[in-house]
Amino acid sequence: MFVLASPIVDWNAMWKICVVTLAAGIGVVVAFGFVLLGLKIADRARADGTHNAGSRLGGLTLSIVCGVICVAVVVIGVYAMAKKPSSKPAKAKSALVIPAGPRMKLVASSR
Amino acid sequence: MGSTTLVLVIVIIAAVSFDFTNGFHDTANAMATSIATGALKPMVAVLISAALNFLGAFISISVATTIAKGIVPSSATAHLDGLFVVEAALIGAMIWNLITWYFTIPSSSSHALIGGLIGAAFASVGSSAVSVHGIVQKVVAPGILAIFVCGIVAFLATTAAYMLIRTLGQEEARRGYRYGQIGSASLVSLAHGTNDAQKTMGVVALALISTGHLSAVHFTVPIWVKLICATAMALGTATGGWRIINTMGNRITTVESPQGFSAESSSAATILASSYYGYPLSTTQVVSGGVMGAGLGKRGGVVHWPVVGQMVVAWVITLPSAALVGAAAWNISDLFGTNSDVGAIVIAVLAGVVAFGLYTLSKRNRVTAQDLDRTNVTPEIEAERAQAASPALA
Repeated sequence: MFVLASPIVDWNAMWKICVVTLAAGIGVVVAFGFVLLGLKIADRARADGTHNAGSRLGGLTLSIVCGVICVAVVVIGVYAMAKKPSSKPAKAKSALVIPAGPRMKLVASSR
Repeated sequence: MGSTTLVLVIVIIAAVSFDFTNGFHDTANAMATSIATGALKPMVAVLISAALNFLGAFISISVATTIAKGIVPSSATAHLDGLFVVEAALIGAMIWNLITWYFTIPSSSSHALIGGLIGAAFASVGSSAVSVHGIVQKVVAPGILAIFVCGIVAFLATTAAYMLIRTLGQEEARRGYRYGQIGSASLVSLAHGTNDAQKTMGVVALALISTGHLSAVHFTVPIWVKLICATAMALGTATGGWRIINTMGNRITTVESPQGFSAESSSAATILASSYYGYPLSTTQVVSGGVMGAGLGKRGGVVHWPVVGQMVVAWVITLPSAALVGAAAWNISDLFGTNSDVGAIVIAVLAGVVAFGLYTLSKRNRVTAQDLDRTNVTPEIEAERAQAASPALA
């Protein structure tokens, strides 16, 4: 199946996409969950009135670190948008619409 | 006004109109789950999305460059013929967008554009103009992969989120993830602007190059082209596309805010990664896969497979259907003679009539922003809704 699909699927790009998507997609959701969890721990320590500075500091630290991770992922995402690599010119063999005849010379392909 | 200039103006109008339909068709991709969970009021959501789509159109011009220079060689459309094919392609894509919008089905605007182009080129040149291998490689395979890649990531992310929620508590999680959704949905909107608004910029730039109004050697997208395309996309987005938002946000599955955040984060990651590594995947299919994955990721979550089935059918027929409309548009234009101004005007007017007809028909079963507002829905009401909806649709 993999071998059969090789000519039509760019597996080199595909595995990179899968790894990055897994890391970023799951990472952000988990990191954001820890932001909320850290805030809850800090809030609970404050509300308890027990002056548990360790819990409060730990919660806030967890929130800040995970918050920074989330922001960093967003920044990397925006950077990736801005620095999107330009595509190579179309090759006839991978074109969707290939040149044919003198009358219409329109060619279309994806990357 | 010369013949070429007239056709060029019509092509630009068609491109901007397609961009407008692209905007309201794809608003759902970014904002549907945020609206469905009550993270944002519908009007606020679409206005944020519109602003970010507008901004995204200015971030880079790599997609526009690819279309204007990479996809179509600079000499390829140096004939009026090319402009007619582009016009017919845009009309095919626009009408298919409107048809799927009328039937409330999220489908890929990019695939519609490719379909329109294939149909118009096929009608103009014949079967030798179309590469089946290219279609499978660039459209079919990425379409299938998009759903699975994002779906699996969203499934795992949702599962992880609900594991954390056991420690966090339902109410805190619901509230917290709603804030997160605003950020993740915004990122999807921005990514959409950088991709889709630029496709139209590329088409307009291509038309300008082919008529000698723009240099292919020292290529740059003129500011007025950027402005009209970004504005059309933003205006289209701001009009809402409530019908498709309803399908994406409410009919595929009942979305809670952790699911919405997982779906959007996974979608944003997939879109950006695929775009960066030069293997662009359809935003619509990525987000749909994300919503399905998020639906399944929650224990007891229900995905309404009949709705998914309708969407899959629409995805399968998007390319051939848009191709048929594109081919029909080119043939109608050709009835008035090769490269006839009258033909170009006639198909543009016909497209306008069809668009108006579909808009009028859609008023019979309108979906409004008020229908979708969930900001005042309490968790209890939400639970009742989910319970009521599940047995009937499962």
